[in-house]
Amino acid sequence: MNFAAEGYNSFETKKTPSGIIKYLPDPKAVIGLIQSGKLKEHILLVQGGTTTFLAPALSMGSIGVITMSGAPESHLGILSREFQMPCVMTAYLTNSDTRYVTGGNNDAHFAAIIKALEGKKAQLHCEDRETGRVAILD
Amino acid sequence: MSTYKDRYKDADNGLRFQDLVYQGNFKGMEPVPDGILGDKILRQRAKSKVLEKVSKEDVLRDQFTLDELNDLNNYLAWNIWDVLVMRATEGVSGMIPRQEYEILAFMQEFLRWPEILEMTTNEIGAQGVMNIGASARREIGTKINCVHDWCIGAVGFGMGRCGLLALEAIQPQDYVRESNVILKFMQRILWGKRQDGFILNSQDRYRCRIHEKDVIDSLASQVEYLEPGSEKHDSLVRFNAAAELLSFLDHYDCRLGLGDTGPYALPDGKIMIIRDLFTNEEVYDWSDVCDHEKVPHCYTLCLIIDPEKMGLDEIRVNDISTTFTRPKNYIEHIIGGAVFVREKWDTPMGEVYPVKVADLDKRLEGIQQATFKLYTKFSRMSRRTLIQNGMYVYYIDMILPHLRLAGTYEKACKDYEFWEIDQRVSNYYYDIVKRGFAQATVPQKIFSGEGYLPFPDGVSLNRSKYYWK
Repeated sequence: MNFAAEGYNSFETKKTPSGIIKYLPDPKAVIGLIQSGKLKEHILLVQGGTTTFLAPALSMGSIGVITMSGAPESHLGILSREFQMPCVMTAYLTNSDTRYVTGGNNDAHFAAIIKALEGKKAQLHCEDRETGRVAILD
Repeated sequence: MSTYKDRYKDADNGLRFQDLVYQGNFKGMEPVPDGILGDKILRQRAKSKVLEKVSKEDVLRDQFTLDELNDLNNYLAWNIWDVLVMRATEGVSGMIPRQEYEILAFMQEFLRWPEILEMTTNEIGAQGVMNIGASARREIGTKINCVHDWCIGAVGFGMGRCGLLALEAIQPQDYVRESNVILKFMQRILWGKRQDGFILNSQDRYRCRIHEKDVIDSLASQVEYLEPGSEKHDSLVRFNAAAELLSFLDHYDCRLGLGDTGPYALPDGKIMIIRDLFTNEEVYDWSDVCDHEKVPHCYTLCLIIDPEKMGLDEIRVNDISTTFTRPKNYIEHIIGGAVFVREKWDTPMGEVYPVKVADLDKRLEGIQQATFKLYTKFSRMSRRTLIQNGMYVYYIDMILPHLRLAGTYEKACKDYEFWEIDQRVSNYYYDIVKRGFAQATVPQKIFSGEGYLPFPDGVSLNRSKYYWK
């Protein structure tokens, strides 16, 4: 299987949700997605590993999340475990050497991930204790 | 087959939950790992006995010695790293400017808390402070809990002093007396709560078994047993997650909204975690949306986990009230649960009531509505308002439960202007966004441990700060 990205696995699960990856840049986009009624058609791609940004999406039953920073100990990592919603954290592209740097300027790193993943049909694989993976199905 | 009980053997060093190691003030020495082994090394390197089990007389003593202060400074710095270093990779929120409000709150706490905590100690006495800690042994749904009690010292003293040192607003020899006031208050609360001589969960292999046996027995007798994968199991898990999410949101994406204790071993070999989820804190004006949805102050969940089916290797209830396990996914091994409601923070324990698992979905809707309304409200707030509100969550809420029980909250508001922001901290608002101070400098100082400079040899325990430059 072609894994386009991988990162920390927030918890081990046999669930393998699939959907179109949608990048959410701001709260307005989160509210818009909820109101569209299409939340469960998407794997959500977000920059941070915090919880509040995605709060209504988590509450309304999002099926899977990819973050570009954060770890299982981050608040979103904790909540994804509680919701049993697969979550790949601090994802990086497997065909690239760039990695997230805490406190650094990660703009180019984030932009490359968004460009590579947004709009693609993907499936999350989170069986492994440590590593979560993103397979592209297109 | 579980091996988690091996973690409680004296010779056992626990598992490593992360690859990173801690250096802090231990330059030239072997770096320190996380977990049980890290606790052992910190205690071996201590100059005093303050990190061992201490007596009531020790706790009632007016001040720590200089060695004790520096040992506590080093231990808290490691403990902060231990529980937060991986969380700190989470980056910006996109919703709430948390790093900005955190650093401002740290500094506000260090500057303002000492006189308020000293006033409170003067009002009720050192024993009275210990009694506040002890009150948590017979209650659920109380914010006298790990995270609040730990924050007094780890955040108000540790991170507050660290932030001001990083800003070069203070020097290592400043505010010794005030540091002692904060740390003594913390020690008295935590010692009174645990009553085993330790103050922190990390000193006890990450256990927080504070409740009296009859309280545990009463709660355990009300548990409903569930088949994993059943509709009732799903309802309990869904409710736990949604209430936890609202607790995070009402507390501005910080952990003051939740509090775990345990693990409590049950006679049948299962373990119980008791989880308080503070879904509606009335002191915040934004909690009006929770009132509108009739969301109570706190839901308490008793979660029964089967360690054998899980193959549990280690469970940590850490000092910020959060449970982590290896393997990580304990949720699918929950085999029973009970839910209790505390309507207001001062609702008597006798009026705390249970909710059947079958009735949770009716309450879930109110939680979801409050979550969406709160999110919408926050999304319309200015950055400045979000930072100020976040500051209040830290600065007020971390000692609010202690002041409430001491009966000094009103006095703190009226006579000590508790809700005012110190002018120096107001000015720091403009400094923290320059040169990556909040986003990079402070996190680096805090999580490398480099910023927790020791108090210098020979400095007077009564020294405050006498000049500014």
